[in-house]
Amino acid sequence: MSAIGRSFRRMKAVFIARNLEYLRDRASFGWNLVFPVLIVFALAVVFSGPPRALFTITTISSDDLPELVEFPGVEAIETDRPKALDRLSRQQTDLVVEVVDGSVNYWVNGNSASGAILELLLTYTETRPLKRGETDGDAIRYVDWVVPGILGMNMMYSALWGVGYVVVRYRQSGYLRRLKATPLTKFEFLSAQVLSRLLVTLTASTIVFVGTNLILDYKMVGSIWLLFLIALMGGLAMITLGLAIACRTESKEFADGLLNAVTFPMLLLSGVWFSLDGSPEWVQMFAQVLPLTHVLEAARAVMLDNAGFADITIHLAVLVGFCIVGMALSIKLFKW
Amino acid sequence: MSEVVLSVAGLEKSYDDVIAVDGLDFEIEKGECFGLLGPNGAGKSTTLAMLEGMEEPTAGSVRYYGAPLPSDYQTRVGIQFQATALQDFLTPFDNLKLFSSFYDDPIPMDQLIEQFRLKDFLHRDSRRLSGGQRQRLLLALALVHNPEIVFLDEPTTGLDPRSRRDLWDVVSDLKADGRTLILTTHYMEEAEVLCDELVILSHGKTLLQGTPEQLITDAGVSDLDTLFLSLTGETLVKTQEVIE
Repeated sequence: MSAIGRSFRRMKAVFIARNLEYLRDRASFGWNLVFPVLIVFALAVVFSGPPRALFTITTISSDDLPELVEFPGVEAIETDRPKALDRLSRQQTDLVVEVVDGSVNYWVNGNSASGAILELLLTYTETRPLKRGETDGDAIRYVDWVVPGILGMNMMYSALWGVGYVVVRYRQSGYLRRLKATPLTKFEFLSAQVLSRLLVTLTASTIVFVGTNLILDYKMVGSIWLLFLIALMGGLAMITLGLAIACRTESKEFADGLLNAVTFPMLLLSGVWFSLDGSPEWVQMFAQVLPLTHVLEAARAVMLDNAGFADITIHLAVLVGFCIVGMALSIKLFKW
Repeated sequence: MSEVVLSVAGLEKSYDDVIAVDGLDFEIEKGECFGLLGPNGAGKSTTLAMLEGMEEPTAGSVRYYGAPLPSDYQTRVGIQFQATALQDFLTPFDNLKLFSSFYDDPIPMDQLIEQFRLKDFLHRDSRRLSGGQRQRLLLALALVHNPEIVFLDEPTTGLDPRSRRDLWDVVSDLKADGRTLILTTHYMEEAEVLCDELVILSHGKTLLQGTPEQLITDAGVSDLDTLFLSLTGETLVKTQEVIE
């Protein structure tokens, strides 16, 4: 048998062993499937109905805004024009306003009653010249928007803890030292861990996605294969991040702290629960260094806006970068 | 005269300012059972780790048939670690299959199952094995690739008397096969029963070396524990005391 054949045989053996361990751990396995389903249904119940009760205006510039923006009951969010118009087409905002050279440009969604009311109020209250634009598009429910977030969050926890924490547990228990005394190489061991967890993560995400969609029928207008590619790259990026965290860590408690330090910012700032539009610029910039942000932005673009491969290339490129850096660091620094 | 398999010269190992092994010199002949004896902290496990190729010496050398350890040394040795966890939820059968996959020409699983009497608990979660069953499984995993040298690090620690005797039988069978065995223990009775040659360690240094009978006779004492006490003021653990 060739060296590659032997290497593949060893990798396959570790891959199968890790899968067996996971599948027989019924509590963990069940939780990975049940937890996201519960969250999706809970949010579907809590946030059922229209996405917002108040009027929402999205502003593109912040100077000399119309008086309407300051009205009681109006919530204002500032962002750039493409994002603002995306929000308008999904009816996540009722009116988009921009002030340029002393005139007021505004956009409404032709399908939105709230937009029509705000437009009327704007024409009565604004003395500067007005220029009208219009988009269309149906309102999305909160559940449509939040489902990619929950699937991504589940993937993040499954990938980071399922690899990072497990490898540290193996090390602390002496199992890695036992493996070191065999011809198994670091690359073979790490690759088997990555592939095993990727299989688990993708399977769990697919089951949750299909299962919840059968009941909630949330919006999915793009390519299912593109969504699968995003899940694949996102899963890989976060698994390799987990490996990089675990490559030298010897204490489960320390690993727990490190994993929390990585997951908590993603949970808050990657757009799992709410959009970061309107948050400070530095927050939005920081969010771009988190892999989950790219997973969720790409997934929402495909699911809600029918984005194609070209539209999400940058997100995929960032995720590939995370994979390469994470795997290289893991192999370089890994200690049995 | 038998061939020397492993030779150790000026072997030292330090961790920061702690000297764990301090200048050991000895040779291990092919087919013998070589014992490293000493109380906890004597440097037995550290010495064993360097002989296994798992740790690099700070100074000195370990040579295999007179040459540096070869790159495929791990395929020539089998190691039963003192404290090894296995993957959760895997059975002895799964573990044998996994470890067999690491080698080109493993011993057939049926043969290992019979030799180490694993059949009765072959499909039980490894976490639910008794101490003796677990040690037999670990020994089978160490032997899965039919190694020339077998390292056993305190193989009977924590076992009940019957399991201890069972394991002695298994180790005696391995000796009868002509394998070179290197064993650490702090049970003198075990050393007397199993070992052909002994090195008694204390604080990382060799106190005495020889056959068990020779050491006892030369010192004019009744057993190894008395000998050790007379040398260091410390006592080894008597197997019978542990059993009782």
